Amino acid sequence: MSNGKVTLLEAVNLALHRAMSEDENVIVLGEDVGVNGGVFRATQGLRDSFGFKRVIDSPLAETMLGGLVVGMAAQGLKPVVEIQFMGFIYAAMEHLVSHASRMRNRTRGRITCPMVMRTPMGAGIRAPEHHSESTEALFAHIPGLRVVIPSSPARAYGLLLAAIDDPDPVVFLEPTRLYRMNPQPLLDDGKRLPLDSCFTLREGSDITLISWGASVMETLQAATALAERGVSAEVIDVASIKPLDLDTMEASVRKTGRCVIVHEAPRSCGVGAEIAASLYERVLLELQAPIQRVTAPDIPPPLYRLESLYMPNVEDILQACDNVLHFA
Amino acid sequence: MKYFKLPDLGEGLQEAEIVRWHVAVGDTVTADQLLVSVETAKALVDIPAPYDGVVAKLYGGEGDIVHVGEPLLGYEGEADAGTVVGRLEGGGSSQEDSFFIGAAPSTREHLATRATPAVRQLARQLGVELSGVAGSGHEGLITRTDVENAAQTELDRFGGERLRGVRRSMALNMARSHAEVVPVTIFGDADLHRWGQAREPLIRLAKAMAAACAVEPVLNSAFDGKSLSLKQHERLDLGIAVDTPDGLFVPVLRDVGHRTSADLKEGVMRLRADVQARSIPPKEMMGATLTLSNFGTLFGRYANPVVVPPQVAILAAGAIRDEPVAVEGAVMVHPVLPLSLTFDHRVVTGGEAARFFKALVEALEQPDA
Repeated sequence: MSNGKVTLLEAVNLALHRAMSEDENVIVLGEDVGVNGGVFRATQGLRDSFGFKRVIDSPLAETMLGGLVVGMAAQGLKPVVEIQFMGFIYAAMEHLVSHASRMRNRTRGRITCPMVMRTPMGAGIRAPEHHSESTEALFAHIPGLRVVIPSSPARAYGLLLAAIDDPDPVVFLEPTRLYRMNPQPLLDDGKRLPLDSCFTLREGSDITLISWGASVMETLQAATALAERGVSAEVIDVASIKPLDLDTMEASVRKTGRCVIVHEAPRSCGVGAEIAASLYERVLLELQAPIQRVTAPDIPPPLYRLESLYMPNVEDILQACDNVLHFA
Repeated sequence: MKYFKLPDLGEGLQEAEIVRWHVAVGDTVTADQLLVSVETAKALVDIPAPYDGVVAKLYGGEGDIVHVGEPLLGYEGEADAGTVVGRLEGGGSSQEDSFFIGAAPSTREHLATRATPAVRQLARQLGVELSGVAGSGHEGLITRTDVENAAQTELDRFGGERLRGVRRSMALNMARSHAEVVPVTIFGDADLHRWGQAREPLIRLAKAMAAACAVEPVLNSAFDGKSLSLKQHERLDLGIAVDTPDGLFVPVLRDVGHRTSADLKEGVMRLRADVQARSIPPKEMMGATLTLSNFGTLFGRYANPVVVPPQVAILAAGAIRDEPVAVEGAVMVHPVLPLSLTFDHRVVTGGEAARFFKALVEALEQPDA
């Protein structure tokens, strides 16, 4: 924390400290989260502050971790489990889909599953392909799971605290590429942000740019470039991928009549498709142009020399904006 | 500790041998200061410090081999970056993060025009601005009728008469040509002193064009600008521009190259008569491969005639007049035919057009048969 500014990674760490000191039922566990402070140091200092009974170094076994936290949550604890990279989360999928997401429904509301599964997501850090993926759509498809992706230190802090409070399971995906980018002033005041709301990052009137995760950064840069050309872009950070705050997106697109959706995940069956379909259902009559998507291609993330071609860049976004704006 | 790794030294070299360290542990170094000399398979390379700092550790001694990407030197004082796979970039924009929870305030009282995509498309075609149209449908929905009425109102406001038929297609074709073709016009004259007295050059022009097509067939072709493909015609079907009170007609004289002058003359007379009587069948005006405008029978010398796609050229003939010409050092008065050839430079080169033009004039300047 330099100059009073906090990175997204440090914001996660602050929120974890805050949650653990507020509620002794909050337990942090995962591979290397204790002594080592986590692969990216997100859990640094927790073990010293709260002890090894609440900050647990686990074996390298994500399937076991998934089952463990479902059991803990069902019995009244609030586990926050770290999966080192999103590429390792699938071993815990059985527990997320078949148990965590259905606990409330299966027990007719008697038992809920207040767990948070944190994991870094996304490309752009020169890592191998199974450390670089964005598969949020897999989790968004499962009824009963919340999926949250912060894109700034403030939203990481407020949303993680809200996710830990929430009585239902939350998959909390942290854009690795943003971990140390754009440090911001942050007040460690324990204030929560709503889990079921988009965030409007920039107000505009000509076109709505919708994004989430690391791509929010390029989307904001595209909005700045558009402003230099006299085009006023509204930028929305979706943040809560499931459930989606369609009302906010609808209101914005109803105003601008134009919409470009940007996400780093592959195109087919991505969350962008869900948003576009929902907007067509709601605002077809106000649309001035077809909704465009800017996404990664339908391939695994390439090795790092080609990474920059894989992730949507500012030029890609501006090209899609031009397509949309050219409809008079 | 922060690591400085052996950078890619270029030329695909993967390793280097440490020859000499120029710094020691504990030294304060500044950016660009010489750190170490290494020897690759190709050269001795000096590696400078990437930034300021204090040296915490040297990896490898003199004579050791280091591979690209391996730590070479450690700086003191850096925060623990974690056991990271990959690399986290810091910094980024200085833009401050600020946001509204949910929708921006301006979304709340906004009223947009409402119309189906089909109606929006219709409005685009008719040039109607939807924001100025009051919708008569459910909750202000703009209907097809609303747009049509608005278009009619626009028309009424301008007054005037709508172009129809030949004039309408002239307006559309000329605008399309202007938007698409890259026209270049060459001017030239034909000296007709070897002709008899006849001053009706149309048939001679047609035959001369056929002769020129034999020299440069590319002028007698069709071009599709979308697919950028060219189709060369085997015979010359010549469009002849005919002026009428109703507008410009271009009937087609078929297979000019293989018909006799007498036959062509009869053909032209028949086409002209049909056009004047407005009894020419539409198919007689289709499929011209090249066009001739004989506007000089009315007035004028040179022109910039307009190429009509998919054709790639057009020839315009001005009025024949007696002019002084230099013949072997003496001034003579000869009948001269001024000519203007426009070609589409997307397809035809200047050289092809000039050779075509030269062959055309040489054919024209022959005595009457």
